[in-house]
Amino acid sequence: MKNRLTLDLTRRGFLGTALGGAAAMAVRPAWAASKTLNVLSHKVHETVLGAGTDKDLLKDWKAAADADVTFTTFDSNPLMDRLFREASLSSTDYGVGYMVDNRPTSEIASLFEPLDAFQKEDPIEDFGDIAPGLVQGMTVDGNLIGIPVRHATQGLFYNEALLEEAGISAPPTTLEELVEQAGKLTFTSSAGTPVTGMVLASDLAVFPVMFARAYGGDFITKDFQLVPNPEAMEKGLDTLRAMFEAGSLPRSYATTRNDDMVTWIQQGRTAFTVLPFARSAQLNNPEQSKYPGKIKAIAFPGSSSLPAGTPMAAVTEAWAMVMPKNAADKKLAWSYIKEVSSKRVTNGMALNGNGPVRVSSYADPALIAKNPVAEVEAKVLADARGAFPPFPEAARAQATMLEEVQLAVIGRKPVKEAVAAIIERVKPLMPS
Amino acid sequence: MPLIAPVHVLILSVIVIPSIFVIWLSVTKSSFGQAPTWVGLENYLRVLSDPAFRSALWNTILIVVFAVHIELALGLGVALLFASGLPFRRFLMVAVLAPYAVSEVVAVVMWRFLFDPDAGPVTLALQAVGLPILDWSFEPTHAMLLIALLTIWLHLPFTFIILYAARLAIPADLYEAARIDGASAFQAFRRVTLPLLGPAIVVALLFRYIFAFRIFSEVWLLTGGGPARSTEVVAVYLYQEAFSYNAFGTAAATAWIMVVASLVLAAGYVFLLRRQVVSNAH
Amino acid sequence: MRTSRLLTGCGKAVAVFALLVWSLLPIAFIVMSSLKPGREIFAVPPSYVFTPTFEHYVSLWRRWPLFFDGLLNSTVVTMGATVLAVIASTCAGYVYSRNSTRFLNASVLFLIVVRLIPPIVVTLPLFPIVNAIGLNDTHLVLMVLYATFFVSLGTVLMKTFIDQIPRELDEAAQIDGAGRLTVLRRVIVPLATPGILAVSVFVVVFAWNEFLFAFIFTATRAKTAPLVISEMIGSIDGVDWGILFAASTVQLAPVLLFVVLMNRYLVAGLTAGATKG
Repeated sequence: MKNRLTLDLTRRGFLGTALGGAAAMAVRPAWAASKTLNVLSHKVHETVLGAGTDKDLLKDWKAAADADVTFTTFDSNPLMDRLFREASLSSTDYGVGYMVDNRPTSEIASLFEPLDAFQKEDPIEDFGDIAPGLVQGMTVDGNLIGIPVRHATQGLFYNEALLEEAGISAPPTTLEELVEQAGKLTFTSSAGTPVTGMVLASDLAVFPVMFARAYGGDFITKDFQLVPNPEAMEKGLDTLRAMFEAGSLPRSYATTRNDDMVTWIQQGRTAFTVLPFARSAQLNNPEQSKYPGKIKAIAFPGSSSLPAGTPMAAVTEAWAMVMPKNAADKKLAWSYIKEVSSKRVTNGMALNGNGPVRVSSYADPALIAKNPVAEVEAKVLADARGAFPPFPEAARAQATMLEEVQLAVIGRKPVKEAVAAIIERVKPLMPS
Repeated sequence: MPLIAPVHVLILSVIVIPSIFVIWLSVTKSSFGQAPTWVGLENYLRVLSDPAFRSALWNTILIVVFAVHIELALGLGVALLFASGLPFRRFLMVAVLAPYAVSEVVAVVMWRFLFDPDAGPVTLALQAVGLPILDWSFEPTHAMLLIALLTIWLHLPFTFIILYAARLAIPADLYEAARIDGASAFQAFRRVTLPLLGPAIVVALLFRYIFAFRIFSEVWLLTGGGPARSTEVVAVYLYQEAFSYNAFGTAAATAWIMVVASLVLAAGYVFLLRRQVVSNAH
Repeated sequence: MRTSRLLTGCGKAVAVFALLVWSLLPIAFIVMSSLKPGREIFAVPPSYVFTPTFEHYVSLWRRWPLFFDGLLNSTVVTMGATVLAVIASTCAGYVYSRNSTRFLNASVLFLIVVRLIPPIVVTLPLFPIVNAIGLNDTHLVLMVLYATFFVSLGTVLMKTFIDQIPRELDEAAQIDGAGRLTVLRRVIVPLATPGILAVSVFVVVFAWNEFLFAFIFTATRAKTAPLVISEMIGSIDGVDWGILFAASTVQLAPVLLFVVLMNRYLVAGLTAGATKG
């Protein structure tokens, strides 16, 4: 994106859109829409639709439906909180909300309108094309309460240039190779930067879960089984602990966040990290990264001890569009949802960096040309699933698990004890 | 008297009446999509018997006691420094007040970078002069130290303003009189400054205690309560219950326990203030 | 004599230097980072020599018009909250200063104790109430909330400052036939100006940077700047640190300006007050 100092007159003409809106209202041009749909989402959902620019993917729909769309945007966790608060009122201004798929428990699902009736009467184009796993994730107590619109699937990112410097010719194909390479990649690079082999955030269950799954285990399965394979979980944590001790995980592991991972790999402070594939563009952006074009992504490798044919189930997280039960104009809301789910808009959003939920999108030649990791992502998506299914005490269960994992990795508690503690402490939180 | 009405109307309608509802919340179990059901004192018992809460309470007390007193001493020192006459006073004043004006979120981002254990400028500078570094992402005590440092940095201007404004209001004649009587600088401080700053010091301390007890951003944004919840404070515990777990009953109970705990802690100061209040309104 | 004065002078210089470094270092880094090219901001080893660029400010203007709306809203809310808080606190502080009954003393304690309740839980019942009366997403609701959570401190502070104004002045004015309100307006307020200014600094800073209430009670029309900054940090597709630090610098500036302006009156008001003895 080039930064030219040209004046953007349409925005500069008014002192902020507030006054601009007021002025526009005063003038009342003939094309003002008669209806407004209020959408509650993260800013990224507004951006991928090209909203507010001349490449607005919904331009024709707005004209046809005689409606305007106003986005109220928040950061992810505040967004979820606000969505549930609004849905709990007696009536709300919002017609559509965006929800993450690890939140809809039975209680929360009861706040949102089941969409099966809408789908029957006014169906979405080629509904079967939308990844069934994601649709399943938004079906609670037999009701479809959300239509998937975005997914973020975790992949293993590595810095090709640093690998070359350490004399490694190819990225790892098994977890054991990854550990070995991470060890070799803990050194000071030619740029004078101290490099740590791998960096992982410690405040998301995603990462310990990936390591457990690499050995054939899991944290909580789809059917709510808690740690079905304790040995696999132990092996996963042992691996993390060993990496920490060897210095290939940073000493600040226990306070590392998501953003730190991105910054570290952009700055060449680490060679490996686990991030959603969609980050590829950002990591290779020459304005922000010291290694543009050198940060590649592959599927996170499973252990060599995994029986042949067992897929490594990477973690994926999806966003879905939901309709609060207390919304005013539900027909308009469904019309929006239907349009955003169409093939045209889905592919358009994908070109804007959105992880598409339609299987057919990955076959779109334009996307393949633009996104170098599209092919890998599609393959990984096929076997991926959420870090854990939604249930009322899920957040608490995740926090408990992370506490024990942190203790184990930084060496304050033996791994075996930590895994036993996870099982013991999370068991009473599981749905009965 | 209608003049005190605005203050009380605001407080009653915005804080007191909703608080009554919060009492109700604390004896029920509820969440989004889940109507309240009566559970009696179960929420309180659960929170009080949670070792994580007790350690959070202990951490909070530690921070409150240490950080606030150190900050008071520093604030007093800076106020006296200013009062003794400084060049470029206006610029210096703005410099001292600047940290208070910075948004906490951005300040923490910057402190995280400055104190990065591997590569932060302050860490590197400390290493260059041979001083020990703050290994805050690994050692809980170091983390608590950094949190205390950060909260002092953010709030020192608050204490400073109160003390400085009060110091400026002490008439210069009193110091003249003390000097004529042959008092040294230290004696003037003890006999003139300190007693007359008394009420201001108490006010600053009291409110600083109240705010410090609810310390949140410095902990949440710096360590998230980690490593492994070892630096968690009660406000973080409350935030998790209310926003992360959406357990409104436990959150309400935690809030009331916080009120009682901070009341006990501030009790001494409340009595002190009361005496000042009575004695000054002759 | 000379050496002791030199030492004091040196001591003061060292103290002032330490104070400056302590206060300004992190802020200097923020401002510096807003002028660094994106990939240099968190570079390791840190780069102190770089070509400054204004691209982040330009990007901020072009890509985040929401931020500037937020600044406008923040300004409106802050001004309203300050006016409301200061008026309420001064009136109440005056009453508490000049009268002392058991009831009044108890109510001061009540004011303080009430502040022990964490604001976070109060939002739980307030949200549906505010929505029901249609005040959600308005500037008014934020003004009222900020003022309320401030008046306890404000009242106590104003009481402390007004205590220092001799009662004789009140009585003199009352003998001349002034009513309570006139005494307040003509006598108290001019003399309590440093107190009022100190109090207003607190409200302004509090309201300007406040996040929790703004997040819960606003949507689009009254969205304040801290909310937009938090959106910048919480960006799913990547944080643009350059833009974030540019936004932070821009957000910091008005409050600093206010402090600079207030500074002048604070000093002037105090020298006037001191001579009155």
